[in-house]
Amino acid sequence: MRRSTRLAALLTAGILALATAGCGDEDEPNDDPTTGSGGDSSETADAPESDIKVGMAYDVGGRGDQSFNDSAAAGLDQAVEEFGFESEEGEASDGEAETQREERLRTFADAGYNPIIAVGFAYSASVAKVAVEYPDLSFAIIDDTASCEPFDGSDPVPNVACLVFAEEQGSFLVGAAAALKSEAGHVGFVGGVQVPLIEKFQAGYEAGAKAVNPDITIDVTYLTQPPDFSGFGDPAKGKTAAEGMYQGGADIVYHAAGGSGGGVFEAASEAGALAIGVDSDQYNTADPSVQDVILTSMLKNVNVAVYEYLTEVAAGTFPVGTNVYDLSVDGVGYSTSGGLVDDITADLDGYKQQIIDGEIEVPTAP
Amino acid sequence: MTPRVTKLVLGLSAPILALLMAFLITSAVLAAAGDPVGEVWGQLLSVPETRNVGNIIDNATVLYLSGLAAAVGFRMNLFNIGVDGQYRIAAFVAAVVAGEAWLPGYLNTVLAVLCAMAVGAVWAGIAGVLRATRGVSEVISTIMLNAIATALVAYLLREAAVREAGSNVIATKTIPEDSRIPNITISDGPPVVDIYGFVVLAVLAGFLFWFVLNKTRFGFDLRATGRSTTAAVASGISVNKMTVAAMMLSGAVAGLVGLPILLGSSFSYGSTFQSGLGFAGIAIALLGRNNAVGIAVGALLFAYLNEQSNPLQILVGVSPDIVAITQGTIVLTVVISYEVVRRYGVRMEQQAVARALEQERDDERAEVKA
Amino acid sequence: MSAPTVEEATSTGAPVTVRLRGIGKRFPGVIANDDINIDVRRGTIHAIVGENGAGKSTLMKILYGVQPPDSGTIEIEGTQVSLKSPADAIAAGVGMVFQHFMLADNLTVLENVVLGAEKLHGIGGAARAEIMRISDSYGLDVEPDRMVEELGVGARQRVEILKVLYRGARIVILDEPTAVLVPHEVDELFDNLRELKKEGLSVIFISHKLDEVLSVADEITVIRRGTTVKTVSPRDVTARQLAELMVGSELPSPSTETSTVTDVVLLSVKNLTLAGVDGRELLKDISFDIHKGEVLGIAGVEGNGQEELVESIMGMRHSSGEIRLDGRDLAHESTGERREAGIGYIPADRQRHGLLLDAPLWENRVLGHQGRPPSARGPLIDKRAARADTERIIAAYDVRTPGPDVLARALSGGNQQKLIVGREMSSEPIVLIASHPTRGVDVGAQAAIWGHIKDARRNGLAVLLISADLDELIGLSDRIEVILRGRMVGTFDPGDVTPEQLGSAMTGASL
Repeated sequence: MRRSTRLAALLTAGILALATAGCGDEDEPNDDPTTGSGGDSSETADAPESDIKVGMAYDVGGRGDQSFNDSAAAGLDQAVEEFGFESEEGEASDGEAETQREERLRTFADAGYNPIIAVGFAYSASVAKVAVEYPDLSFAIIDDTASCEPFDGSDPVPNVACLVFAEEQGSFLVGAAAALKSEAGHVGFVGGVQVPLIEKFQAGYEAGAKAVNPDITIDVTYLTQPPDFSGFGDPAKGKTAAEGMYQGGADIVYHAAGGSGGGVFEAASEAGALAIGVDSDQYNTADPSVQDVILTSMLKNVNVAVYEYLTEVAAGTFPVGTNVYDLSVDGVGYSTSGGLVDDITADLDGYKQQIIDGEIEVPTAP
Repeated sequence: MTPRVTKLVLGLSAPILALLMAFLITSAVLAAAGDPVGEVWGQLLSVPETRNVGNIIDNATVLYLSGLAAAVGFRMNLFNIGVDGQYRIAAFVAAVVAGEAWLPGYLNTVLAVLCAMAVGAVWAGIAGVLRATRGVSEVISTIMLNAIATALVAYLLREAAVREAGSNVIATKTIPEDSRIPNITISDGPPVVDIYGFVVLAVLAGFLFWFVLNKTRFGFDLRATGRSTTAAVASGISVNKMTVAAMMLSGAVAGLVGLPILLGSSFSYGSTFQSGLGFAGIAIALLGRNNAVGIAVGALLFAYLNEQSNPLQILVGVSPDIVAITQGTIVLTVVISYEVVRRYGVRMEQQAVARALEQERDDERAEVKA
Repeated sequence: MSAPTVEEATSTGAPVTVRLRGIGKRFPGVIANDDINIDVRRGTIHAIVGENGAGKSTLMKILYGVQPPDSGTIEIEGTQVSLKSPADAIAAGVGMVFQHFMLADNLTVLENVVLGAEKLHGIGGAARAEIMRISDSYGLDVEPDRMVEELGVGARQRVEILKVLYRGARIVILDEPTAVLVPHEVDELFDNLRELKKEGLSVIFISHKLDEVLSVADEITVIRRGTTVKTVSPRDVTARQLAELMVGSELPSPSTETSTVTDVVLLSVKNLTLAGVDGRELLKDISFDIHKGEVLGIAGVEGNGQEELVESIMGMRHSSGEIRLDGRDLAHESTGERREAGIGYIPADRQRHGLLLDAPLWENRVLGHQGRPPSARGPLIDKRAARADTERIIAAYDVRTPGPDVLARALSGGNQQKLIVGREMSSEPIVLIASHPTRGVDVGAQAAIWGHIKDARRNGLAVLLISADLDELIGLSDRIEVILRGRMVGTFDPGDVTPEQLGSAMTGASL
């Protein structure tokens, strides 16, 4: 948290850089003042070079999952290009043993990778364990705080950075947007898998919708239950769930279901209703045929978090502790592509400011 | 060659043939994918560090139990596809029981193990009863029961779990330290390397598997039913009873699958508890030809390949799918080469019988002449 | 074509259509063919006889192109041929009628005949005309529009023969054609065969029923242990001489001995009724007693309830009525308990019900006797004792095998059957249910099995004997019951009944 201010400064640059990187013609010189303050990195725009080797351990799906892992990979790519890091990647396989996750981190550690970034809460226990074994190396984990804020109250592992997001805050805003746009006073939420992380999305969404309309009806469903994680990658399930909600009278459905979201958009398109995307600006990534049903998307900028973290590494400091990417640093937010929320941005930005100012406290569990 | 030696040579030639074929096919796949064939094999065949050996043994212990569970069914021609669901629901119940610690110390452990076996047996027994009384294919019913087990465990887990604020992993109560099965240290290090104390129980399970199936009347009935249902019925074996009993035995062994992890490392059942072990067990049972020692070899081989997945990705830059392809290739080649060797063996035996008869005939001719 | 040599077989005159010279087959099995030499003449019925396993089937497979010979030559109509497939054989004019019919039940006769031979005469009127022409000229009496499922066994066999002729066969091979027929059907078949030879066709007739062979064949070739022993004319030999040629030694016969029947009832069946899945009664009100030292023979055309009766007594089917073993009610006993109570069981289908083909012989010794010494000791299987007892059976019952660790599959049928008989006798049963105990077994093994049954009967065994071999029934039984459509329809004294009388009773002709 103490870094939030500094990170905030970085974020703007990061998002801009990413936007251009997405266009594939990134040749912008790195003129970010904060990076420069690292001093000894001495990288230049033309020939970035660094002896830092970044190890990236993805969750199941790995690079190319068009979702969470890909977003992290984008952040890595940007940093590699900008700072000249060397990088290597490994990915989890379905149903692997805990020891295999640990071993993935150890293999990076033994091969001289530092820092090592673990993508996803599945690495929670592995990072906590392996980081202790390699006290001289730095680790980062996305979406989990077990190493930084141990539940049993013991001391945090000193060489781990926990990069987490205030998904409930972003979800609050899209919940408010849904309530403002809903003509039926009836909206829905489709969660991929019922884990606490996704329940955070639900909690924020419900709070946001009720803030606008206390009498609103909110349908909630989860596609699968752990340990069945197929709910994050099964569009057919997503479609069935959303169809049910639209038939039941809802006119806007928010999904936090990863790859299953495509089915939600299809259902919205067929029902002539609206849907809300998640993680990235799905107006830009979804199939063009369903583009017009996407009211907005809840942005969770994992790429930004990764890039930020690596920017600091490039500057010579290895962040530790919990870093919350919230509305105040634009770690989460909502998208405006498509223009459907143009008329309510003032309201949404009002809520956003209230959250940043602490006037509204968004719950993290339903 | 004496028959015994012939049998041994035949027995060994099948797996060797299989590994050779797997080696060639995997190399071809690697070459086609443009991966460095030499480096991959260099990594795969490198001597693992002690730490990795520990992991391999741990992983193999779990896979071994899963293989045994599947093999019990296979010996009777029952395809228990439901080991996966059985071990998860059993591990969950064991975790709850052990976490509640109604009994002190190791009594608690024993109770948890017995509960796991009972739950696995009952869960698999459902498929057995359906098969025996209604003729429902156990393949279908166990697949369905897997799905039900998943949903049921998820539901119960949310009811029974201790929820840590902010954590995405929900888990049952942690098992008290005095009820855990102590690990066995195989290297004083550094680093200190432990393996599951449950290894001992797995070995015992393997011995019992061999003994029950090969030495007891129950095992004979089970194998006889597997070889020919019609002959089993005519011989007085109640196939229905055997179906239920075999499924329950398979399920009881399946109940043990998750326990090395539960009692040796995780100490609770959470949403990240290792899944998919049951399906690996089916492959391993095939690989080990449903034989207690063979399954151990298969489990070690699979665990070894799993362990090589990370270095292959990180140090050699090969997709982890290559490991999965290699595992699949090995299972396939083993099945094929065993069939080839089996047919060759049958032919040799028929020839031996024919030779014996010919000998007799020659003797007779000699007698006639005399 | 006229047939100058109708009535009597002559070894002169008629040209040779099939000439086999030095046929050899190194077959990875029990018996190989070795130096087979046969001449089959046009317009004759040539019988090939031999013990089961003597190599007849192998020879026929070679002649029908299923397997190539390793050595020797085949000449058909004077031309040397190489038969690589049944299609080659058909093209060369060789047709085969298998023991097990290959007909589709739910098609008509016409459809069955043209199936696979549509190119010859199409599937319509031309085909029908050709079928009628063949049927009339050989007296096959085939109705082309009947469904095959409605036909009796004899009629089905005629359809099979017609199928072969339709495809242009001039040489017809029949593999054990009478095994499935009752006596009057056998006579009809033989009439048909005489029609065939009258028209100049050659018939190769494989059998081990010597009386039939003697009555129908013009020439007889005896095969023993894979090689041709002798070709004889039926006028010059007796059945006994033929049998001795087949076995190569003096032949025992199933002769009734002095009755050993006592008045102690060991197996009593009362009002046994068994309903099928469709509610039809498979068995109806079956009642009989078998006394100590008595053999009760059940005669019947196959499929009239014999299997159901056996399986009901064994507890493999749930029937109503009463079954008592030595006074003990078996109603609630399982198959295993019935076996342990003292019922020995020789099943009709030894491969399906009697053996674990892929298990060693000693495990097959254990099968069905898991709960008793020497197979078991308490809950454990006693491998050492079981092996030793298997060795004893191998020696006592002349099972030809290198040892008790050989898989059952590696043995010939006769040796498999001897093992089963030995196994069922060795537990000292009080009742033996023997279902076709010598079916498909060579003459030597048959005599041995008969001997064992007679010995056991003398020692007080009660035997229920089911057989399709009427000579066997008459020779072994103290009493014969005839079963027809699930009912007992008549009791006969084997002392004064002929196979013909039994045959009529079996088909219901006498009722």
